[in-house]
Amino acid sequence: MKPLRSFVMAGLLAAAVGGMATAGNAGPTVGDCQECHGDKTIEMTMPDGTVRSLFVDGKAYRSSTHGKAACTACHVDAKAPHGKLSPVSCGRCHTEAAKSYAQSTHGIVRAKGNPDVPGCGDCHGKHDIRKVQDPMARTFRLNIVGVCLECHEDRVIEERYDLPDEKMMAAYRESVHGMASRKSGLLGSAVCTDCHGNHLILPGDQPRSATHRQHIPSLCGKCHSGILEKYERSVHGKGMRAGIAESPVCTDCHGEHTITKISDPASSVYVKNVPRTCSACHDKEAISSRYALPKKRFSSYMDSFHGIALEYGMTKAANCASCHAFHDILPASDPASPVNKANLPRTCGKCHPNAGENFAKGMIHVEVSPEKAMGVFAVRVFYTIFIGTLVTLFVLHVAMDLLGRHRRGKAKAGKTEG
Amino acid sequence: MGEEPRSPVTVERMSVLFRVQHILLMVSLLVLAVTGFALMFHDNWLAAAVIRLEGGVLYRGIIHRSAAVFLMAQLVYHAFYMLCSREGKRELREVWLTRRDFDDFFLAMRFNLGMDSKYPRFGRYGYKEKFQYWGATTGVFLISVTGIILWAETFSMRYLPKVVLDLTLIVHGYQGLLAFVILLFWHLYIVHLHPSVFPMNRAWLTGKVDAEWLRQEHPAEYEKLKGEGVI
Repeated sequence: MKPLRSFVMAGLLAAAVGGMATAGNAGPTVGDCQECHGDKTIEMTMPDGTVRSLFVDGKAYRSSTHGKAACTACHVDAKAPHGKLSPVSCGRCHTEAAKSYAQSTHGIVRAKGNPDVPGCGDCHGKHDIRKVQDPMARTFRLNIVGVCLECHEDRVIEERYDLPDEKMMAAYRESVHGMASRKSGLLGSAVCTDCHGNHLILPGDQPRSATHRQHIPSLCGKCHSGILEKYERSVHGKGMRAGIAESPVCTDCHGEHTITKISDPASSVYVKNVPRTCSACHDKEAISSRYALPKKRFSSYMDSFHGIALEYGMTKAANCASCHAFHDILPASDPASPVNKANLPRTCGKCHPNAGENFAKGMIHVEVSPEKAMGVFAVRVFYTIFIGTLVTLFVLHVAMDLLGRHRRGKAKAGKTEG
Repeated sequence: MGEEPRSPVTVERMSVLFRVQHILLMVSLLVLAVTGFALMFHDNWLAAAVIRLEGGVLYRGIIHRSAAVFLMAQLVYHAFYMLCSREGKRELREVWLTRRDFDDFFLAMRFNLGMDSKYPRFGRYGYKEKFQYWGATTGVFLISVTGIILWAETFSMRYLPKVVLDLTLIVHGYQGLLAFVILLFWHLYIVHLHPSVFPMNRAWLTGKVDAEWLRQEHPAEYEKLKGEGVI
């Protein structure tokens, strides 16, 4: 809606300026400007010694979205001939965009006169601006990643502004989203601006940022709406809505720029990596104490047959999500949870068809302590003491046996002498 | 007659059949230990290397269970042999635990500590051999039963609560550790490290022991054989 309105406004303005030009003979036409600027060799030496081309490709300009307007629509003080012109202000027409941009991190830094930061032209182009729907536009969905990475893949820039590692930024290209747009040319795949916004880009730690934690579920949910619905029902989703910032959002499990398909062994939610991903929180002492959760989630799983089998590559072995579910994870106390006592026979039965109600009576991957698993704990302690004592006695026996042998040898020697 | 007593310097202690049983037992126990402990202590590089060598967790299981079937078959065969064959019955009588073995043990300990002047005169099998035999047999039996429960997991799950399976798993593993400890500290000592046999009692290969060794370590058996005219 917004681009359309801006476009109409720009059109009207262009028409107005054009009308003025013919009526009042107040300014030069595009043709007039092209008399000089159409010359490919026209250039100017800047105060710092660099040479800058002043050539404007008339053809590219005419096929741009502003191509019908006179040069003076933007270069308001242009006369023929002219000296240094005042900077172009896109905001004269595109007021909304200019307002958003001014509040963005790019806008704020640029207002301080920093030339590293992109202005309108750095993303949209200058004389060759095309509409975002135009596949030739710099801001077309499939081109936008390249435009952002022009700066964000630059190590110098990333370091200068304390931004994430340039490799992390570029990792997007290999991500499931990046591959979908880059390789498959899918328009539906998320590009930079879908998550970060366009004019109003802010760092993720600012509450107003589109990529702030609290906005992540709804952000991903713009496309993955079925998943969002499940997540909202889950204990994690409820926690998030209740303002518990530690509650995981999409990116905590799936990653951000590095999101890959779950079938990719590098994915944080690949079957083999699920236990480590969940344990990032569920094996933390602080988190289990704060939310009264059971402890030792990781080691008690990894020491179970499921954990060992998974660790050694048997991917069909149950991981966390096989029993606890993925997005709609619920506490065991919830009757809808697959790990609720009443549902255990069915959940275990997915793989072990004979696991009946009787089977589900025991506790599953609990820490081995007297309160949680008395039987296992007692047997383990018994064996540890038994084996330990036995080893001690064996060693003692060997020592005593050798002592006795020595004595027998002496006795025999005495007998033969006597 | 002058040279006669020295001519049979060796005496048969393990018949061919027992030697074969012993070698098969050794091989299957070693395979079971390597495949089993890699799983029990899975959290280190050595276990990871062993499991990889065995072709992953799936093939590890197949190897382990194959060796287990083999071992259990030996156990059954051994039981029949000991109960039914002439040689077996004689051996069973010899290895049967009696009150005397415990008395012998305490007597030996008292002697070793210098509290008694007499050392027990062992027969064919002393307390060391008997304790080991019965310890190992009980262990193999327990480990077989728990192993079968774990193997038939789809069957066990129907009748047993998970806590029983958890306990079974613990018993199976620790019983294996116990067997290993017995082998390492007891068997290794009496047939390898004991000064009278160091570096090894060759009976498991040749079946024979020196008559002199028998006279020293198993005097009652020595005299019995002498009485029978074997020596």
